[in-house]
Amino acid sequence: MDRRHRLKWLLAAASFSVGIALIAAACGGGGSSSTTTSSSGSSSSSGSSSSSKSFANFRVAYDTGIDYLDPGLSYTVEGWQIMWNVYLPLLGYKHVNGPDGATIVPYLADSLPTVSSDGKTYTLTLRKNIKYSNGATVKASDFRATIERDFKVDSPGVGFFGNIVGADQFSKTKTGHISGIVVNDSTGQITIHLNAPQGDFMNILATLFAAPVPAGTPAKDQSTTPAPSTGPYMIQSYQPNKIAIVVRNPNYDASQFDGNVPVGNPDKMTFNIIGDDNVALQRVISGQDDYDFHQIPADRLAQVQSQHANQIKVYTPANTYYFFMNTRMPPFDKLQVRQAVNYAINREALVRIYAGLAQPTQNVLPPTYPQYKKLNLYPYNLAKAKQLIAASGDKGMSVTVWNHDRGYDPKATAYLTDVLNSIGLKAKEKIINSAVYWTTIGNQATKAQIGFADWFQDYPHPLDWFDVLLNGERITQTHNNNYANFNDAGVNRQIDTLKKQPTLTATVNAQWASVDKAVMEQAPWAPFLNRQFTDFFYTSMDLSCYINHVLYQFDFSTICHN
Amino acid sequence: MAQQATEGEFTLDTAAVLAAGEPASAIRGRSPWYLAWRRLRRNYVAFFFLGLFILICVACLLAPVYAKHVAGTGPNQQHVLENVRVNGKLVPVVSSGGIVNGKLTSAIPIGPTWFSGGGKFVLGADAIGRDVAVRLLYGGRTSLFIGIVSSLICTFFAVILALLAAYYGGWGDFTITRFFDLMYAFPVILLGIALGSALAINGFHHWGINIQSGSIWIPTFVISYVLVAYVGRPLRGQVLSLRQKEFIEASIAQGASPFRVMFIELLPNIMSSVLVFFTLIIATNILLESALSFLGAGVQPPTASWGTQIADGQDLIVTRPWLSLAPGIMIVLTVVALNVFGDGLRDALDPRAKVRIQR
Repeated sequence: MDRRHRLKWLLAAASFSVGIALIAAACGGGGSSSTTTSSSGSSSSSGSSSSSKSFANFRVAYDTGIDYLDPGLSYTVEGWQIMWNVYLPLLGYKHVNGPDGATIVPYLADSLPTVSSDGKTYTLTLRKNIKYSNGATVKASDFRATIERDFKVDSPGVGFFGNIVGADQFSKTKTGHISGIVVNDSTGQITIHLNAPQGDFMNILATLFAAPVPAGTPAKDQSTTPAPSTGPYMIQSYQPNKIAIVVRNPNYDASQFDGNVPVGNPDKMTFNIIGDDNVALQRVISGQDDYDFHQIPADRLAQVQSQHANQIKVYTPANTYYFFMNTRMPPFDKLQVRQAVNYAINREALVRIYAGLAQPTQNVLPPTYPQYKKLNLYPYNLAKAKQLIAASGDKGMSVTVWNHDRGYDPKATAYLTDVLNSIGLKAKEKIINSAVYWTTIGNQATKAQIGFADWFQDYPHPLDWFDVLLNGERITQTHNNNYANFNDAGVNRQIDTLKKQPTLTATVNAQWASVDKAVMEQAPWAPFLNRQFTDFFYTSMDLSCYINHVLYQFDFSTICHN
Repeated sequence: MAQQATEGEFTLDTAAVLAAGEPASAIRGRSPWYLAWRRLRRNYVAFFFLGLFILICVACLLAPVYAKHVAGTGPNQQHVLENVRVNGKLVPVVSSGGIVNGKLTSAIPIGPTWFSGGGKFVLGADAIGRDVAVRLLYGGRTSLFIGIVSSLICTFFAVILALLAAYYGGWGDFTITRFFDLMYAFPVILLGIALGSALAINGFHHWGINIQSGSIWIPTFVISYVLVAYVGRPLRGQVLSLRQKEFIEASIAQGASPFRVMFIELLPNIMSSVLVFFTLIIATNILLESALSFLGAGVQPPTASWGTQIADGQDLIVTRPWLSLAPGIMIVLTVVALNVFGDGLRDALDPRAKVRIQR
């Protein structure tokens, strides 16, 4: 080999080696990665307490459904599951499995509220010396400022606080204070005056919308500059659609909470936001992540069951999947058309589309509720649906079916679109990113005619369904939860009357069941199933620590390692 | 006076003497297009792939015939709860799945029946029971329509811009060239996603043009727009070099209008390049449309296209790989066919290829 050829050969070999090294470096970087931004407070690996089952990092293959990581704005399962252990309201729930998880216990308050005999005044006192993650002390006035902030940011939860004296006035002016919330920073006392008694008000105080943040927190989305936290964890950083990192709150002291809020086992939680269900599953199987938040893809269920049976948990949260129909927009302003849609969809087919992990339904309330009484107002009847459409005079009308792009849900709207076309409407789909879907359809300017929606209970009370989703008096311009814009005076009156009931007796439960029927007779929705879910873990996780909470599903803080 | 050549003797007059001895015959002129055609028709590989492309187009055009007379279903019709008889046995189109005897079972659609189902679900069904083969053919119509029409639009505007830029020069050339530079600065896919996503949601309602969201004209125009620079810039270079030729100067000196010079003198001389670019850009556009549709920024559901079909098949890639493989194979065959034929066309239109024919 002459000198020139030798040089060429050496150069080629060197280039090849560099190339291989680069490829190896690119492939070798798996697992979680942390970001460089940090929020207030230090990011040390231990808080003021840590449990005997602590471990360094709990890695989650999360999905793209986080709308916000701001307790005043988030209203998705994805957002709340992260923030449940970050922002503590005055009241909360036990971190236990089963129905006991719905028991309300004091969090930041030192005890359950004292309720006046007329049910219109709630008095609580803050625990002493509770600190935020930035070291500041939690004050009673922070609670009032938090509720006021909810109004200022147009929170989807403002409807929960509409019954507070002065809230209505504040919602119009957004200046001054809500007169019905009286606070005393020196004693820590918080007094809340309501316009009328409200049976679910303690549950409302336990929502994340009521979790105090410091009074000066800006009245805008704080997702990427997280507000200081009060819980065992704090959000260190969040890059939308990429990663969220949660670490221990250095100023959290579990001994202050009477055991109601656990210390938490992971020192750190890394939420890798993954768009694809198969990729997320594979990451957990291979050990890149510890937990798959996504649902196991339909065609992998049997395989995962046979190879990893001990790593799967199946559970049924209280949920309802439905198609909303905007009663303000033609053709769904006509009862005949809405009823036609209910007759046309075959709920058994939709169950199959959801991999069989579901039960068909025609009710608003899920079957786990004592107020549930099974309805069968719309047995599948395609011929009747076509007749109703023809009779309505809206045959051939263009309809846009909305949905987001995640998981099994787009297939449901593909099915619905075909059904609508078969009964005489002219349907097409509009699929948008899941991170903006709910705010888009909740904005009246979008004028969404019909689309996919689901609801997982905020708390176990029918008001969380009918008052939030179907009360015409709570329709808002933005962040609207009543996607159907359903506004029936009779139903509104029934809801308002039942709202005042302090307890759910058998009589009250029967009345709620009749509200369910009254709503479905008007058919603003086409409910189609109550869904089951899977939790899938990597082999290193000890599932004896697994807690699936009745409201918040899998509790990230209590999981432990083998 | 020329001397007569004797046999075996070479003189300077030999050529003339030999020519004088030849019988007189008319010499037919051959146009460059005829010569190119002669070269092309000897390229059997190029013709094979042209035939393959035509076959794919014909098959896709006949999609309604297949849907009605063979499969008995449309491209968007779901059959989730139905059964189909395969080799005499009733098989669910989509199995029920869920928890059976305490165990998780998969809910999966029927796999390819390969005509043992009486023409139904030849390539199987997707997650909501739609016939994959029917959607494949209808998807081909969409993808080919977008590929070809966007190429036509892209090439048309690229030629206009190239001619204007190169002929006029000066500020016109500067402006158009900077526009090309701006388009080059954006990665094609990212620009396509940005435009496609925005227009897919709201449609296009400007300047008297109303295109509804979900229309296939949205991805068609988006793809045409993002690739104009990739055709326009090389053509501009060619026109610039032709602009300096004497025949153009002569034409201008004779008082030819700019329109005549551009479209009668310059354009025919770049037509061979335009044809080659057009053929090759169809392949690029089909690939781009598939990528955008896969990412949700192109063709919107439920309209079938090869890209959306690949996306739909992702969730079933383990048990039903044909859902994604079938449209993928069609894309590969179409793009390869166009590329090979385009290469053959370029070779045929290349004047330097004359040397090869003389051998």
